[in-house]
Amino acid sequence: MLTVLSIFIGIAAVMTIVSVMEGMKAKTAEMYSAMGSNRITVSIYSWMYDEQGNSMNTKDYYPELSSFCSSIPDKVIGVTPNGYCNATVVYGTKSSANMEYQYDDNWNYISGPPQLYYGSEQYAMCNNLKLVKGRDLAVLDLEKYNNVCVLGSEAYTAFFGKLDPIGKEMQFNGTNYEVIGVYAPRSEDGSNKSMDNFILIPYTAKRTLGGEINNFVVKAKDSKTLKEAISLIGGFLKGAVNTATGGYDVYSENTWQQQENETLNMIGLILGGIAAISLLVGGIGIMNIMLVTVTERTKEIGIRRAIGATKGSIIAQFLVEAGMLCGMGGIIGIAIGYVASIILGHLILQMSILPPVWVTLLTFTLSVVLGLLFGSYPAAQAAKLQPVEALRAE
Amino acid sequence: MAKLIKIDSVYKIYSEGLESEVRALDGVSLEIDKGEFVAIVGQSGSGKSTMMNVLGCLDIPTRGDFYLNGVDVKTLSDKELSRIRNKEIGFIFQQYNLIQSLTVLENVELPLIYQGIEAGERKRMAKEALERVGLAGREKHKPVQMSGGQQQRVAIARAIATKPNIVMADEPTGALDSHTGKDILSFLQQLNRLGTTVILITHDNSIADTAKRIVRLQDGKIIEDRTKEVDW
Repeated sequence: MLTVLSIFIGIAAVMTIVSVMEGMKAKTAEMYSAMGSNRITVSIYSWMYDEQGNSMNTKDYYPELSSFCSSIPDKVIGVTPNGYCNATVVYGTKSSANMEYQYDDNWNYISGPPQLYYGSEQYAMCNNLKLVKGRDLAVLDLEKYNNVCVLGSEAYTAFFGKLDPIGKEMQFNGTNYEVIGVYAPRSEDGSNKSMDNFILIPYTAKRTLGGEINNFVVKAKDSKTLKEAISLIGGFLKGAVNTATGGYDVYSENTWQQQENETLNMIGLILGGIAAISLLVGGIGIMNIMLVTVTERTKEIGIRRAIGATKGSIIAQFLVEAGMLCGMGGIIGIAIGYVASIILGHLILQMSILPPVWVTLLTFTLSVVLGLLFGSYPAAQAAKLQPVEALRAE
Repeated sequence: MAKLIKIDSVYKIYSEGLESEVRALDGVSLEIDKGEFVAIVGQSGSGKSTMMNVLGCLDIPTRGDFYLNGVDVKTLSDKELSRIRNKEIGFIFQQYNLIQSLTVLENVELPLIYQGIEAGERKRMAKEALERVGLAGREKHKPVQMSGGQQQRVAIARAIATKPNIVMADEPTGALDSHTGKDILSFLQQLNRLGTTVILITHDNSIADTAKRIVRLQDGKIIEDRTKEVDW
């Protein structure tokens, strides 16, 4: 039984690791697809910090980047700064300071304080957002430092319920901002609700609300122009950014997502390796037990051989026993893996993970194969016994 | 017609060439016809058990020829030897040699499993064999729940379940009281009357007397081969 323990711990570990990794991948994929495809992330950073630890890269690259992007309209269809600030949002009696994250029983997001995003008039284009009420940000809002904002659908519901918000004033860190529009939910079924809990303000509001804007999102026309756009923007930044004090990165989010998946796979491999050691130890345990069994049952093997069992049927008998032993361990392991995946999914990812069917089948097969693998040596030992000598054993 | 069993100058030598060399069988020749009841008698260490192991295809002689039904046993593969043990020979051992973890019925079914007979037919045949030894209704019992005599009858049922041509009994009464032993022996005689060749290995002359033919072994050699005139 102790031997089976290590098998089922191993199997449970493999099962949980693979499930959680799959869940994480699914979650990233979901996030990226909600924001739309063909997005290029541009980040400009500085290595220089002042005494307070703030970046000395205070230059606003957006106007230059934006005008460069509009010079290649056959490749790029939108560009926006991508940053956020931590201001407190107040409307009437409601304040983001009093909002806490809430989740349902399945750890699906219900509500929480809204995020304040900096963006340009092209933010909606770059993030797959559609306006349902009022108007969107305009170039003039940025140029004139207008105190205006557009609400994501969740933020709208949280502060206004079903009331018309257009023209109402909200306070961000005490400064009044006028609501000019509301975006539609990203999906009908209410998934990605947390991504709709935001308020978009002109990035130029940074000078009063603070925060940093080091990232920009550029939306390529399609997947074919994506690569060209990346190299063109790269070329532009090479000239625009002072590489002595900082640097820049341009990459498509597809590759970013890919990299994230690769990182996840790597973590999975390492954890899987640890689980594999447990399986190996378990397997050796099974082999040991089976060898003892063969010794203990030498007489039985002799009897079976005497009444007509071939070497093949003795091997089959011991393989089946080892396979069943490990298979049983596997089933217990799978059950534990299921529970662990669900619990870990809630704790780490705040989402319900059910191990995919292929993971279940794979781990079960793995456990049986382990049994067969580590049972084959004892089985061969059993079959090697001469009938007459085996019969003589007591 | 070929003899059922024919061995010619068979040797079984352990540690050959060494100082500790043991000649368990020392040039034995013997022929047994179909339907015979032969007792192989000898004292402990006379080579009678080795003889049974060789005749039962459990052991391979060091030298010499062994023909079973005219087939040279030396040329047979391990698989073919297994098949012969399964179909042609039924074994009865002194210590019954039942598998303790299996029920009575499962024990009797075992040789039929190795023959590849399907479950329903297998159960029917095993039950029939148990009925013949007078153990109908005990199918679900484990061997430990039975007396020695009953266990030996289970072993006999297992030996005859495949309807073999030869039944080999190695000291079948050795672990039983004399009364139960007699039952077992008369069952073997009955089997023989129905046409099965019975080879009985024993050290006990009075038990050997139940056989029609007595082959006496001493130091690995046959010192007597006598067929009784009287018809019993």
